[in-house]
Amino acid sequence: MTLRSRWILIGVVTLVMAYLSLPSFFSDEQRANHWWLGKDGMTLGLDLQGGIHWLLRVDQDAVTQRELEKIASGISDAASEGKVELTSSEVKAGVLTLKGDLPGLRKLIDETAPGVDVDEENGALVAKLKDRVYKDAIDRFGASAVEVLRKRVDGLGVREPIIAPQGHGRVLVQMPGVKDPAAARKVIEQTTFLEFKAVLDAAPSKELLLAKFPNGLPEDQEIVTEDLKSGKRQESEALLVPKKAILKGDMLEDARMSYDRRNRPIIEFQWNAEGAKVFRDFTGANIGNRLAAIIDGKVITAPRIQSKIGRTGEITGDFTREEASNTAIQLRSGALPIPLVLEEERAVGPSLGADSIRDGVRASLLGAGLVFIFMGAYYSVTGMFANAALIVNVIMIIGLMSAAKATMTLPGIAGVVLTVGMAVDSNVIIYERIREELRNGKTARAAIQVGYARSFWTIFDAHVTALLSSIILVMIGRGPVQGFGVTLTIGLLASMFTALVVTRTLMDTVYGEHPERLRI
Amino acid sequence: MELFKTKTHFDFVRQMPYMVALSVTMIVLSSISIAVKGFDFSIDFEGGTVMEVQIPANVAGDVDEARLRGIMEKLGQPDATIVRLGNPEDHEFRISLRGSQEQDRNLSITLLKGINESLGGEVVAKSVESVGPRVGGELRRAGVLAIVLSWVGILLYVWLRFEWQYAPGAVLALVHDVCFTAGMFSIFGWEFDMNVLAALLVIIGYSMNDTIVIYDRIRETVATRGTTELEGVVNEAINATLSRTVLTSGLTQLVVVAILLVGGPVLRGFAKALFIGIIVGTYSSIYVASAVLIWLSRRYGHAIPAPKAKPERRTRPTRATS
Repeated sequence: MTLRSRWILIGVVTLVMAYLSLPSFFSDEQRANHWWLGKDGMTLGLDLQGGIHWLLRVDQDAVTQRELEKIASGISDAASEGKVELTSSEVKAGVLTLKGDLPGLRKLIDETAPGVDVDEENGALVAKLKDRVYKDAIDRFGASAVEVLRKRVDGLGVREPIIAPQGHGRVLVQMPGVKDPAAARKVIEQTTFLEFKAVLDAAPSKELLLAKFPNGLPEDQEIVTEDLKSGKRQESEALLVPKKAILKGDMLEDARMSYDRRNRPIIEFQWNAEGAKVFRDFTGANIGNRLAAIIDGKVITAPRIQSKIGRTGEITGDFTREEASNTAIQLRSGALPIPLVLEEERAVGPSLGADSIRDGVRASLLGAGLVFIFMGAYYSVTGMFANAALIVNVIMIIGLMSAAKATMTLPGIAGVVLTVGMAVDSNVIIYERIREELRNGKTARAAIQVGYARSFWTIFDAHVTALLSSIILVMIGRGPVQGFGVTLTIGLLASMFTALVVTRTLMDTVYGEHPERLRI
Repeated sequence: MELFKTKTHFDFVRQMPYMVALSVTMIVLSSISIAVKGFDFSIDFEGGTVMEVQIPANVAGDVDEARLRGIMEKLGQPDATIVRLGNPEDHEFRISLRGSQEQDRNLSITLLKGINESLGGEVVAKSVESVGPRVGGELRRAGVLAIVLSWVGILLYVWLRFEWQYAPGAVLALVHDVCFTAGMFSIFGWEFDMNVLAALLVIIGYSMNDTIVIYDRIRETVATRGTTELEGVVNEAINATLSRTVLTSGLTQLVVVAILLVGGPVLRGFAKALFIGIIVGTYSSIYVASAVLIWLSRRYGHAIPAPKAKPERRTRPTRATS
C-alpha cells in the first residue's frame, strides 16, 4: 500500500468511527432532533444508570403439578363417562397416582392422555409427564410469562425495558431507571384479572350504547370496550355486560392456538372440573348469544356460542395465526397465575450508578494519562506516534460499541483503559526491537523495517490468544462482566489495526525521506 | 530515555531450578488453601442477599454496626454481616446474608421495612442484590468451564503456531497464574466475585501475551543458532525482550493501580486480582513457560523451525547490507 492510500484508510476509519461514536454522547432527544446525528449509540448498563435487573424462572414443580392435575381431571371425567372404576386420584411430587380398575384405567389413559408415561406400582397406576410434554409446558409458560411481564412493565412506564426469554423457562427483565424494588414487585405479583360475562347488548361505540339508556344504565350492568390492538377488524365495539361474571380466569386451565379441519387458526381452551360444569350449563342455555372474555376491564374476545360445550371448547373466527396466538396467550395469562421464581435480583440506585461512572472515568483518565506521559517521555517523538494510535484506538472502541448498540458497564470502562495498557504493548514490542537493531549497527531505515517485520507475527499471536479469553468472557459472562468482555474484544481488534497501521504510517511519513532524524 | 542502556546478560536459566521449586511451593500452598479453606465467594457464586443502605441523617446519630446487627437479629437474621462503607459521616452500611433464600423472594424488602420501623426513618437502599442458589451454582460451573476452555484453546493455538514442545509450558504457566492469583484470594480471605473471575480470564490473556513474545524470540533465535546450546538461546531471548517485558507490565500495572486507587469499591477486587496476576504472569513466562520448554526440548528434542514466512523474507536484503 502506498503511503497516501494508507493515510486515506486511517483518515476514513477514524472519521467513520468518530461519527459512529457521536450519538453516544447525546441524549435521545438530541439524537432525534439533529439529522446529522446517528440514531444508534451505546446504552449504559444498569450498574451505571441505575435500575432493576431480574432473572425469573417458571417454577418447574408447580408447572408439573398443574399439568398433571389437568390430566387427572380429564381422566376422571372420562372414567365417569366410560363407567370405569376410579377410587382415588392424587397428584403429588411430580407423580399422578390412580387407583381403581387398573386395566380399564390404563386403556383410558392410552386413549385420552398421550402426554404421560404409565407404570404399575403397589396396586396403583403411576403416571409421569413425558419429557417432551414437560418441556413443552415449560416453554409455553415461559412464553406467557414474557408476554404478561412485558405488559405489566409497560404499565409501570419504564423507558426501554428489556424482557427477554433466556431458554428453559427463564426470563430476563431489565428495568432501567426503576428505583424501588418493592414497587416493582407488582410486576411479578399482580395477577391479571380474567372474567367471562354474557353479552347483553352491543354497539359500535360506547356513546351509541349509552344512548339506548336515557335513564342511565341498570345498577348491575356496565359497558366494556374491545381492546383491538391489531388484526383485520379495525372497528371497535362496546358491549353491555352484567357486573357479575359467570366464570373467572382461575377456572381456566389452558388456552392455546390450534387449527381446525380446514387448517384455519382457532383457539382451544380447557376448564377445570368446576368451570366445566358452570360452562356446560351456561352454554346450553345461551346458544346463539355471545360471551365476552374480559381482562382488567378490556374485552379480549367475544365469540358467539355455537353449541353446548363442557370441559374443552374452541373459539373459531376469521383469525390470523398471530391474532389467534395472541388471544390464546392473553387468555392463558389471565388463567391461573404463572408461578415464577425470582432467581436473581440486582437493584442499583441512581446515586450509586453516578458514583460508579465518576470513579470509572476518573480511573481511566488517570491510567491513560500516566501511560501517555510515560510513552512521550520514554520514546520522545515516536512515543507521541504511539499516543496518537492510542487515541485512534479509543475512538474505534467507542465507535464500534456504539454501532453495535453495546452496553457500557463499569467493568467495561475498566476494559477500555486496560486495552489502552495492552495496546501500547504492541508499540513497545516494535520500538524495543527498533532500538535493538539500531544498537546492532543497522541504519535507521533498516531498523524500522526489521522492527515492524519481525514484530508482526508476535503481535498477531499475542492478540489472537488474548482474544480467545476475551471471547470466552463474552460467551459465558453475565451482565456487567459480559459487557467487559465485549469491550475487551473490540479493543483488541482495534489495537491490532492501530499498532500495525497507524504508527507505521506516521513513522514512514515523518522519517521516510529522512530516516536519520529518527528519535526513539 | 532507556531502561537498559546496554544489552543485559542475566542468567535466567541458571535460576530456573530454584524458581521452579518456589513456584511449586506456592502452587501447593495455594491449592491447599483453596481445597481446605475455599473462597469467600460473593453472592454471585453462592447465593444470598446484599444490601447497601444509607441511613438518613436525622436518625443516623447513634447508628453503627452493632445497632444494625441487633436489628437484624430481631428480624431473625443473626448471621447477617454488617460493614460500614466509606466515611462515618456518610452513614452507609453493607448488610450481607450468605446462602440460599430462594423461598422468600421478598426477603430484602421485608428486611428494609423492618430496619425502617426500628430506626423510625426512611433508609435509602443504594443497591440490593439477591441471587438464588441455583444461579450461584451455575455461575460457578460456568466460571470453571471458561477458565478451562481458554486453557485448552491456548494449548491448541500454541501447538498450531509453534512446535509442540512450546504448548505444555505455555498452558502450565497459565495454570500457575490462575492458581496463584486465586490462591491469594483464598489465603487472604478476599471476596471472590464475578469481577474477580473476569480478572482471571484477563490474566490468562495477558500472561499468554507475555509468553508468546518470549517464545517467538526463542524460536527466532533457534532458527539462526540451532538448539545445541538451548540454555544460551533461551537466556538471550529473555534478555533481548526484557526491556519490553518490564515496560509493558509496568505500563499495564500503572493502569491497574489507577483503577485500584480511584476506581471505586466495585472494581477493587478486580484490580487486586489483576495486580497480582500481572506480576505472576510476567514471572511465569520466564520461569515456568521457558523452563518447561527447555526441559521438554532436552528430553524429546526440538525441531529447528523453517525460516518464517513472508515478513521475514522481505527483510533479508536489509540484513545483508548491515
